[in-house]
Amino acid sequence: MRRKKGHQDLQIVCAGIGGRGVLLASTILIETAISRGFHCLTSDEYGMSQRGGSVISMVKVGDFNSPLIGREEADVLLSFEESEFYRNIHFLKRGGLAIVNTEKTSLQKEIEGILSTRQLKIFLVDCDRLAFACGTIKASNMVLLGFFSRQSVGPFTYEKMRETVTADSKGRSNEVNIKALDAGYKEHGLLLNTPSP
Amino acid sequence: MKRQREVMIGNFAIARGLVEAGIELAAAYPGTPSSEIIPGVITFSRRENRDIHAEWSTNERCAFEVAYGASYIGKKAACMMKQVGLNVAFPSLIHSLEKPIRGGLVIISCDDPGPQSSQTEQDTRLIATLFNIPVFDPASPKEAADLAYYSVNYSYEHKTPVILRSTHRVSHAREDVPIYPIGKRRVKFSEGPEHPAEIKPGEDSPLAIVASGMSYSIARDVIKGLGLEKRIPIYKVTKIPGVKSTDPNLTDFVNGYKRVLVLEETDSVIEAILKDGGKISGRRDGVIPREGEITYDVARYAIEGLAKRYGLLKKTFSPDENIERALKGISFPHRPPKLCAGCPHRASFYAMNFTYRDALFPGDIGCYTLGTTMGAVDTCLDMGGGITLASGFYDAFSQDGLYPPILASIGDSTFFHACLEPLYDAVKKRKRFILVIMDNGTTAMTGMQPTPQSGMAANGTPANSIPIEGVLTGFGIDFIRVVDPYDMPGMVKTLIEAYEYIKKPGKESIGPAVIIGRHPCILAIKEDPSKKAFHPLELEEGCIGCKHCIRKFECPAILFDEEKKRIKIDMGLCVRCGICLYACPSHSKGKELSALLKKGG
Repeated sequence: MRRKKGHQDLQIVCAGIGGRGVLLASTILIETAISRGFHCLTSDEYGMSQRGGSVISMVKVGDFNSPLIGREEADVLLSFEESEFYRNIHFLKRGGLAIVNTEKTSLQKEIEGILSTRQLKIFLVDCDRLAFACGTIKASNMVLLGFFSRQSVGPFTYEKMRETVTADSKGRSNEVNIKALDAGYKEHGLLLNTPSP
Repeated sequence: MKRQREVMIGNFAIARGLVEAGIELAAAYPGTPSSEIIPGVITFSRRENRDIHAEWSTNERCAFEVAYGASYIGKKAACMMKQVGLNVAFPSLIHSLEKPIRGGLVIISCDDPGPQSSQTEQDTRLIATLFNIPVFDPASPKEAADLAYYSVNYSYEHKTPVILRSTHRVSHAREDVPIYPIGKRRVKFSEGPEHPAEIKPGEDSPLAIVASGMSYSIARDVIKGLGLEKRIPIYKVTKIPGVKSTDPNLTDFVNGYKRVLVLEETDSVIEAILKDGGKISGRRDGVIPREGEITYDVARYAIEGLAKRYGLLKKTFSPDENIERALKGISFPHRPPKLCAGCPHRASFYAMNFTYRDALFPGDIGCYTLGTTMGAVDTCLDMGGGITLASGFYDAFSQDGLYPPILASIGDSTFFHACLEPLYDAVKKRKRFILVIMDNGTTAMTGMQPTPQSGMAANGTPANSIPIEGVLTGFGIDFIRVVDPYDMPGMVKTLIEAYEYIKKPGKESIGPAVIIGRHPCILAIKEDPSKKAFHPLELEEGCIGCKHCIRKFECPAILFDEEKKRIKIDMGLCVRCGICLYACPSHSKGKELSALLKKGG
């Protein structure tokens, strides 16, 4: 198994609804990881519904055999839709990082308790609004990835993610995707809870 | 030379392995999770300048027999299907075992543990082992490519059909897969015991695992996560032994430990082959649930439980229940599968339930199985069953002098796949029911593959088209109507007319009444919603908050605004079809529909 020294294994859950680019986002992640010499696996889950249903894609970077992630094992939860954050929060391990695409400035208050007891680091980002400003709401997946690249987790640096997106799509959609990725990278987002170290 | 690699899903990896092994023909009927293999074969065939004949078959039996025919005269061939599709090809598969082939034949059958998009979780390996058909069970996309290549050669050498069994977790996983030139793949066939250095076989560890397929990969990750990779040996099974044979290596391994956990999907196949002797754990003793997918959590729970019992582990994982407690107070939309916004099937189902609420609704397999929640699909047995069940219902009721309306529904791809004999049978015997053929011009459920009517081949080139109404006329059906389901008053009127027709007296001349509801799949046409005349505000503004449309029309774009007590349209999902106006009792279009019912009924 090829693995770079000094890097921890990394497990990421991408969660959203059909038709909003969850699978494209996880494709960008796996291609970025592999381009940097990491072993990476993803698993896509489609429900019966082509559009509007829940979609999950799991991404595992490092010394793994299966692409499946267990409860409270994920380092990162990328929620492309607020509702899917709640539905999948059980995947997130203690001290995990979550990015939630939402126009709101707070999550539902019942969840606040576990954010601190589980020491979760949660960012709220209005990806839809930023994507709309770039030309299409459909690019909100790229905004979220751009914001994720700000955190420079494992192989997912801004420069490398940008290279993958540039290579991955063509023509006008490429322009919009890059613009959206950049917009996400520049966004500060709203950090909900700063857990005690 | 740098080895070439490429990120791809398991089904493309299978296609790559087949193409590298030099297959000359591939035939398949689409079915989740197998549908991406044929597109993969076409992609790699083009890229490698090969002239592989690849086609979508009308059903799995056609796919199998076409591939078998090619292998019979000496070619290397493959066919693909989902696990329940193997049932359709079953008679010819069984008979093919008695006749030697000159070439090679690989059947790729993709199982659906869960099930996620099937009626049952049927295990292909069970059928294969019962009839001693060699069956390989890959554990990852990379291994799927290797085993696809290996299977073709194995079949060619042994002159016998071979099954490659994938599951959705392998078929839909992505990995970087090594690529080789045609005929040059270096296959690493991995099977057998993996003894960690610290353990001498049969001595130091009381607990071992036997696993195959994706369950093997998960077991490896779980054991590593628990820090037990040096304490629990695993035996990887890749070629599943037949029930009439034994694998001495596997038997020796099992004999060496006090307790052996078998992890496999989805049925107990390896578990059934192994002699128990009171030491095997798995689905039969309940350590693994009797049905369902072996997820990471299921495997972790089982392995931890046994590891603790045998003193290898002190503490086990206990889920943080605070998460569930917090979620209890939070409302977020549950997202059960629903027909898409603007789906023409929704319009048909609404009209069917609206016109004959108390009818019997035999249904079938496809997107339109989702009509169950709209009260317009009562049964889902198998493909084609929608028609034959309607016949059975008619006979059963008419025998007792009862004639309730029977409204069967099938799709256009299903019509060609499995409905010709059932329909001919119904016509011949004068069964009186209404059949609605939901013709959206494509095999939508599995990703837009063409049907025999589409006029398109698997590689996108033009092909001849067989119109459904031509077949119906040929069968001698009297009542054939083509209606656009978006014309909901037209659909209601036609349903009333059809029921009047089948109620006519006279024993001889009346048979099934067939309505073709024809409107292209909303995902296939990709219209620009902003160019449509309908504006969603039309539904919002007149809303009195009765929720009839939410309950009966179930469009994912219609939400309810609890504050304003009226419906709210999700503009991102709405395709501006405007059909919901017919489902609004206070709108003039809804009233128009009710008036039709009073007149007709």
